[in-house]
Amino acid sequence: MKRAFLVALAVTLVALAIYPMHATGYGVRTMLQLFMWIALAQSWNLISGLTGYVSFGHVAFFGMGAYTAGILIGKLGWAWPAACLAGGVMAMVLAIVIGWPCLRLKGPYFAIAMLGLNEVLRVIVSYYEGLTGGGNGLSLPTLHASVPIYYAMGLVALAVTALTYLIITSRFGLRLMTIREDEVAAEAMGIDTFRHKLYAFLLSAVGPGIVGGLAARDQGYIEPLSVFPLITTITMIVMALFGGKGTIWGPVLGAVVLFTFQELVWAHFIYLHQLFFGVIIVAVVLLMPRGILGVLQQKYNLPRTI
Amino acid sequence: MVGQVVISGLLAGALYAMVALGLGLIFGVMRVLNVAHGPILMLGAYTTFWLFHWVGLSPYLSLLVSMPVLFVVGVVLQRLLVRRVVDAPELSSLLLTFGVSIALVNLAQLTFSSDLRSVEYLTGSFILGPFAFSKSRVIACLFAILITAGAFWFLQKTRLGKALRAVSQSREVAQVCGINVQRIHMLAFGVACALAAAGGSLVAVMVAIQPEMGQVYTFKSFLVIVLGGAGNYPGALLGGLLLGLVEQLSSLFLTTQVNEAVAYVLLVLVLLVRPTGLLKGRAS
Repeated sequence: MKRAFLVALAVTLVALAIYPMHATGYGVRTMLQLFMWIALAQSWNLISGLTGYVSFGHVAFFGMGAYTAGILIGKLGWAWPAACLAGGVMAMVLAIVIGWPCLRLKGPYFAIAMLGLNEVLRVIVSYYEGLTGGGNGLSLPTLHASVPIYYAMGLVALAVTALTYLIITSRFGLRLMTIREDEVAAEAMGIDTFRHKLYAFLLSAVGPGIVGGLAARDQGYIEPLSVFPLITTITMIVMALFGGKGTIWGPVLGAVVLFTFQELVWAHFIYLHQLFFGVIIVAVVLLMPRGILGVLQQKYNLPRTI
Repeated sequence: MVGQVVISGLLAGALYAMVALGLGLIFGVMRVLNVAHGPILMLGAYTTFWLFHWVGLSPYLSLLVSMPVLFVVGVVLQRLLVRRVVDAPELSSLLLTFGVSIALVNLAQLTFSSDLRSVEYLTGSFILGPFAFSKSRVIACLFAILITAGAFWFLQKTRLGKALRAVSQSREVAQVCGINVQRIHMLAFGVACALAAAGGSLVAVMVAIQPEMGQVYTFKSFLVIVLGGAGNYPGALLGGLLLGLVEQLSSLFLTTQVNEAVAYVLLVLVLLVRPTGLLKGRAS
């Protein structure tokens, strides 16, 4: 089983690597977005799926990365790969600022702080017009090449997934999951829960930061409303939950299924689509808390790493 | 100028306190943070708008409709959904109410459209010496005080209110004393939604009504609870007034644009320095 899985994985990766040589521009852009959603859902999974601390504002890191990269490319003329990495670093800085006060506490403090963060960043970005262009947005020099972004985005998605694999199969991951199951017990066993939560949070911020930068580079134009939308957070949560939070491949599965669905069916019915997301969240929490992959793992007795 | 700002802050604060009391009630009684609290407020505002629009009912009389209607909505929500996650890990109840909140907002988008709507009622200001107060804000504040006082009377004096406080102190002991905890949970959720609805009906006269107007109130209500001390009901009053004041002062010294950012910085600072709130609460 495991061997078949690895072979399938290798074939998929090779197919994705040669895909841009045979695809249309539209195809490349679509796949690029799928990679973005995989990276985002997987990153949310790192903090919320593993430690049980719900982040309602992960798009804040995406936006932070987008603006950092946007300003570095547009105003200072950095090359886009460096600017996007800087976006990841800035997202981690933001994560420290928020995580330091909020993760020391148990309870819903972290969740609510993240719920507000997004709005606040949007306000700040709109306010500092000199640097960010305010509500008028920020245009980047044109770049007629989605293919390098395609590979970069794919690499980030792969890296975040590999990171998740490394964490889940490590002692560090076990400690995170102990915090999720019973934080008091984790403390009693000598785990420095605050430090572990903070590390997980930092790791979960860097992916969205880089991805935000790449998305900004790809679109060539950013404005507060387009990089801080609540729906981005909602979508990554739904994808991770639907596929199976706290697993390695659940967020990937959720992203693939829901993104396909979104492209084929929902693009025309935006509010109905979001209503449907709300219903999925409620249904998954009540009926299928471990997601599709969790159900499959249980039914077919699969190893935890698939 | 400062006097005017202080009074405006207190006027807004009374409203915040009332709405936050609802959120705090649910949190105190069942340890659930209801992320859908703000969207419930939005439904209250729409109730007022449509009653005004269709039958010309005064926004203040519409409180008599919006509060009972959303009380029932709250009881149903608790009975059907929230009841199942009260004892589950926090993640479940947060995500569940988040899902409900998204569903409500988008249901409102679909049925009411995202047009901005307003209730043109009681415009103008009272002039009192050097100060001017918008009429709708003064009246909203009076109603908020009245309703909050009513809620406190209910909590302090009635048997049901005492039972509710008992459950929030210790569910097990309350159960041993013969209190039907499930029923108290439903009651608390209903009352909380009625308080949010009252907030919605009162702000309907002052601000633009649209489906996404509610979410910010979830955040502000939580901030008020944290300021006052979680599980400390009188603390919510203090927290509400404080938030109102800080917001108004910040719009005096900075600009109104950064209101939300100021409230947010306040939350992070309080969590950093004194997470149990200004009055003693039960934060962990």
